[in-house]
Amino acid sequence: MYRGREGQWAFVLHRVTGVALALYLLLHVFDVGLVMYGPKGPFNVFLAFYHQWPFRIGLILVMAAVVYHGLNGLRIILMDFTSWGIRYQRGLWYGVLALTTVIGIPILIKVVPEILAGKA
Amino acid sequence: MAARPRTLEQARATYDTNRELAWWVFMRISGFLLIFLVFAHIFFNNIQINVATVDYAYVAQRLSKAWVKVYESFLLGLAMLHGTNGLRYSIEDYFKRPSTRFWLKAVVFTVAAALFVIGVMALWAFSYQQMGDAINAAGHGG
Repeated sequence: MYRGREGQWAFVLHRVTGVALALYLLLHVFDVGLVMYGPKGPFNVFLAFYHQWPFRIGLILVMAAVVYHGLNGLRIILMDFTSWGIRYQRGLWYGVLALTTVIGIPILIKVVPEILAGKA
Repeated sequence: MAARPRTLEQARATYDTNRELAWWVFMRISGFLLIFLVFAHIFFNNIQINVATVDYAYVAQRLSKAWVKVYESFLLGLAMLHGTNGLRYSIEDYFKRPSTRFWLKAVVFTVAAALFVIGVMALWAFSYQQMGDAINAAGHGG
């Protein structure tokens, strides 16, 4: 692999999170679409399955991917549409990582105890 | 497939609009809007409540509100286009064989289009308030 600096890792993470989120989106639309079968349909069975702890940890990863991909997307927009974005892209990337962490911590504080408590 | 243009003049004659430029612009505009749409969507459904309490009743109640239908329609449309185009970029970057690229893209576009239709139907084709009654009625009335 090309051993680039921060810019390359920003790109790789953007790619990986983007592909993961696109695939998650397809699955998410499919399972929410099951509400069309009504209250006695397969929706509740599916959701009960997804409410098991491994999938809820997966959901934390989805949220982390959303926050990173969104904030790094803002960085890309700044790089493309401002005169100074590229000059500060490395600092902006560390800003993205810091903000992702800052947003992630309260989410973890809210969600992790819910998972540890088990069933809703 | 038409012959590939070999000179700048031929290329200009062939591509009078720059489709890839349009997608490039779209990815940035839709990406910017999706930040707000997705963050709020996650906040409402994963943070404000315990996501393990989500069930049919929760979703049906949500989807019976007009503003939710409109909001989720924008989210569905923008996210599907943004995500599918992103998958296309990835396929074109990592798969060299033309036949592999073609079939991967064919599968991704087909699945995405089908799920978009499913999403639109889930949002607009049902009155969730009356869903339970409708199902019972359908069982009797055929």
